[in-house]
Amino acid sequence: MQEIIIGIGVTALAGALAAVAGAAEDTESNIGSQGDPNSQVQLAPQMGYTHRIYNKAVSGEPPAYTLWVTLACGIAWAFMMLHVNAVLAIIFGTVLATFVQGIYATTAYLGRTASLSKFGQPVFIDVLKSVTTVTMGHAFVAIFTTVTACYLMATVLNHPFSLPLLGIVWGLALGAAGSATGNPYYGKERQYQNQKFGAGVPISASGNIVRYAEAGQRSSIDNGFFTAKLGGPASGLCFGLIVFFELWRTVLFEHTWNGWGAVVVGVVIILLFAILDRYVEKWARKNYGPYTAEA
Amino acid sequence: MSVKVEASHDGIPHEKVMAMGLVLALVSLYIAVAGSYAGYDYLAFFGGIAAVGALIWGNSTIKRLCSYGIGTGVPSAGMLAFGSGVIAMLFAAKLAVISPFLVPIAGLIIALIVGLILGWISNSVLNMKIPVMTRSIAELAAVGSLALMGLTIVATGHITFTQITSFTLDILGITVNMYDASYIGAGIIAVSFMLGAIALQHPFNACLGPGEKQDRTNMLTIECGFLSMIVMAVISFAFVSMVAAWISLIIALIGWYWSYKKYFALSKRDAAAWLNAKPFSDAEE
Repeated sequence: MQEIIIGIGVTALAGALAAVAGAAEDTESNIGSQGDPNSQVQLAPQMGYTHRIYNKAVSGEPPAYTLWVTLACGIAWAFMMLHVNAVLAIIFGTVLATFVQGIYATTAYLGRTASLSKFGQPVFIDVLKSVTTVTMGHAFVAIFTTVTACYLMATVLNHPFSLPLLGIVWGLALGAAGSATGNPYYGKERQYQNQKFGAGVPISASGNIVRYAEAGQRSSIDNGFFTAKLGGPASGLCFGLIVFFELWRTVLFEHTWNGWGAVVVGVVIILLFAILDRYVEKWARKNYGPYTAEA
Repeated sequence: MSVKVEASHDGIPHEKVMAMGLVLALVSLYIAVAGSYAGYDYLAFFGGIAAVGALIWGNSTIKRLCSYGIGTGVPSAGMLAFGSGVIAMLFAAKLAVISPFLVPIAGLIIALIVGLILGWISNSVLNMKIPVMTRSIAELAAVGSLALMGLTIVATGHITFTQITSFTLDILGITVNMYDASYIGAGIIAVSFMLGAIALQHPFNACLGPGEKQDRTNMLTIECGFLSMIVMAVISFAFVSMVAAWISLIIALIGWYWSYKKYFALSKRDAAAWLNAKPFSDAEE
């Protein structure tokens, strides 16, 4: 019984950590402009819209976050082997992973921007300095919380996977959650905020992304201010629920029917969410779309 | 990906880059293997040099493959390379029971075979019909295998299967074999896998565009290789002797700093303008 109570406590804690990780991940990727909305940032100079938006084309968010989290897990494991306290080891791992993330971010921005020289897109050193450090800060929060959740699973819940393998699984899930949940908000709401509401994204508007602030020109730090309101928390909720339900079903039902209990509960959870999602989608379509001219 | 992918046509031809990368990787691997055979792990850092050599070759292959319009496929090419590379590397590591000197060349050959099969499947069975597909996937598998062997040597100092699957610890004079704390058992191979896969796809992915230049992309490849080596050198403190780990770390840091600075200079050379806290001027304003 005590084991189950500790398990439920760890489940709640890991879910909370994952919620923070998801929110930080989405905000980080929007500030750096990573993932699918980045194709518009890449396209804009070719359509004649020079901009000050970051271009963090490392790869999709899932592979990138798999690397950062796995890397932090591996280094944390190595430091723990050297008898360093677990909390310190996780911090060392996260610091080095954040350093690698920052280096990859700068090389991607420089590479992509320099290759667009034909269209007159300049490299902005001040953008490089200010935006990279902000993305690194958010990446630190996302990586640290995910690695801590992995460590809790490995040690308290006795997960059979080693720490770096848990890092691969949860890093991929984190990137996927942020990419699937947060990116539509950044790509369709923020980048096309200057278009008429409900106009969709016509081909003629391709590359015409938000480039100006209330006064002056925006850098993509402002994308973080915008998406931290709804896109970030939604991603956090998504990743938090994934981690919570995954651990919850395992902790409570792994001894039922030789482990098949956890599998059955997992299938039931997926079905419940599919029905719920379909209901929300239908409700939203009925209430908000398609666009009709005011009578 | 909406941007048209154009590989630069000037500069060194692919065959020459491939030969240089292959020779650098194999020679470095053999020096590292010889060091570990003689009982010294100080030469483990040559594994990192091997990884850099393999990545240079792989980057040129990716550029050649992706000039057929596979824009969003660039990151997945890195994953594919290392996925097939893992199979070849583990198989080759097992052959160390015959001789450890067999491992690097066996890893290369097995990877080429695995890659040829995968390439044939994607080109003929999945009908992708890209002329260089079969050859490129075979090359990428070989690159994955060589780079993975290199990073493994940096971390553990060894490439033989028994040594990467067990970790010996002396407790009160008794030698205990811990499989959970080995390179494979603790999942450190997962770190090598991700480090290599992202380092392989990043240079071309980061530099793609109409203004892509071969020397800048290659410099970024070297930078990515040394950056991966820094991480593996830090992890190697858990496996190899203190001196060997410090040697790897310092060489990785020097190599990384040099290539990063060079890459900055090359980006400055190629950029349309290099502005600091200045606004852009818009034609529409």
